[in-house]
Amino acid sequence: MPDAAHIVIDRVSHEYRPARRRPVLALDDVSLAVGEREFLALLGPSGCGKSTLLYLVGGFLPVEQGAIRVEGRAVDGPGPDRGIVFQHFALFPWKTVMQNVLYGLEKKGLPREERLRVAREFIELVGLAGFEDSYPAQLSGGMKQRAAIARTLAIDPSILLMDEPFGALDAQTRSLMQAELLRIWQRSRKTVIFVTHDVQEAVFLAERIAVMSARPGHIKEIVEARFDRANPELLRSRQFVEMVDHVWNLVRGEAILAERSGAA
Amino acid sequence: MSEIETRFLAPPAATGIRLDLTGAVTRRAGAIVPLLAVIVAWEAASRSGIVTPFLLPPISAVLGRVWEDAISGELALNLGQTLFRSLAGFAIAGAGGVALGILMARRRWVRWFFDPIVSVGFPMPKIAFLPIFMLWLGLYDVSKISMAVFNAIFPVITATIAAAEGVDRPLLWSARSLGASERQLLREIILPAALPQILTGLQVALPISMIVMIVTEMMMGGQGLGGAMIAASRFADSPGVFAGIVEIAVAGLCLVKGIALLRGRLLAWHQETQEPTTV
Ligand SMILES: Nc1ncnc2c1ncn2[C@@H]1O[C@H](COP(=O)(O)OP(=O)(O)OP(=O)(O)O)[C@@H](O)[C@H]1O
Ligand SMILES: [Mg+2]
Repeated sequence: MPDAAHIVIDRVSHEYRPARRRPVLALDDVSLAVGEREFLALLGPSGCGKSTLLYLVGGFLPVEQGAIRVEGRAVDGPGPDRGIVFQHFALFPWKTVMQNVLYGLEKKGLPREERLRVAREFIELVGLAGFEDSYPAQLSGGMKQRAAIARTLAIDPSILLMDEPFGALDAQTRSLMQAELLRIWQRSRKTVIFVTHDVQEAVFLAERIAVMSARPGHIKEIVEARFDRANPELLRSRQFVEMVDHVWNLVRGEAILAERSGAA
Repeated sequence: MSEIETRFLAPPAATGIRLDLTGAVTRRAGAIVPLLAVIVAWEAASRSGIVTPFLLPPISAVLGRVWEDAISGELALNLGQTLFRSLAGFAIAGAGGVALGILMARRRWVRWFFDPIVSVGFPMPKIAFLPIFMLWLGLYDVSKISMAVFNAIFPVITATIAAAEGVDRPLLWSARSLGASERQLLREIILPAALPQILTGLQVALPISMIVMIVTEMMMGGQGLGGAMIAASRFADSPGVFAGIVEIAVAGLCLVKGIALLRGRLLAWHQETQEPTTV
């Protein structure tokens, strides 16, 4: 367990109760502790409750069973200490890229000059310079995703919750953004929970990988993946390839299960 | 370039341009042709002698009358009164309906209190309240405008509730996690996110406000297009009555076009205002 636990998820279950339909048990008895400045990847088949878990930590859904504590305090609603990048971006469609990024900075009460400077810095960082005045409807999926990442990073939260943040990117942009995220994380040492479907991405980015079971999701296994990420040969090293293989086998079993229960 | 190539390359470009032109022309003409047809039929019917000019005066005579009204200043006075009252009623109904709709969607006790009232009020024939409005508020602007508000506010409320409830939850969540307070959500996120549907509600409310104003003027008398028409009909002034119809039609058309223009302005960010697609 690295450092002190920053986020503690303690025996959390979550049931969705849609009106006039059968309740859905999305999470079943999930326990997980994420250390201060740790980079944790959450991996699991589609529908296993990864987004649900992030929403609970983000404070968007009420914790009804179990407990979630951030810095020792029970989560009670959203807050700017936990920045989130949503799976479907959730950009404000009536605001331009610039205005989207500025929104959180205004709420922080930064002076105007400072706001503009920070917003430009992060828009440039995600490679959207030149698109400051575009509306989300005028951007590609990958560009929207990058705008959403810039908006979240700009407010400098101590916790980053990222729900498949690179899912809509092409391979090249994706690996650039991965490197950029690692650089940001190493520089600012945020605590990161990073949801992904991509095993290689998880092994490359995360210090620990929590593999979830098919729905109702619980933590099936936690794999340590500590590599020297500065090593340019990392992706081809034997340790790395074996780790990817190991995690892949864990996930595959669950994906097959998920498929069967989905078909049933 | 060989002859065959030229033949194969040239036609698409040419048809492309021609199609574009015809497209634009048909769109313009498309709106006018049916109206012209009605006007021609009207003129023909009244000249053919099937109906007497008293029952249906020729449109040329009616337009002449509109022109006379315009010269004498009568038209400006009546039109001004009707427009002022309709737009005042619309503005109050719009502001009140949007505010109430958003609060009903987001605050449980507001919903609890107003939901039954709106459900009962919406389908009610509100013109039946006119005598009460006259008793309480008198015969002048206040009661007429109140009548328009009373009628026009319901579609605004219902459109706003539906719009505010339909706002994507992650949108609200992003705003909250970026530091917005619950109160800021209403104005900064829910209102703009719901704007397209709210505008649809307002586009319904505007003609309602004008229709109700004219009916109210007809029943209460006084200045305004409705009052003028009733006066003309008392004096068996048939061209005067039809002139009123034409004036109302033109004024209504301008209002509806105006709010549609405003919609395009306000929704510059929305996909409906982006490039046209094939489907
Ligand atoms: N609002 C909701 N109402 C009812 N059921 C829901 C709701 N949201 C999610 N679920 C169900 O809860 C389960 C977990 O959903 P969740 O979105 O957390 O999965 P996920 O792991 O993020 O999947 P994916 O990888 O496809 O994004 C799913 O089976 C889904 O059907
Ligand atoms: Mg998800």
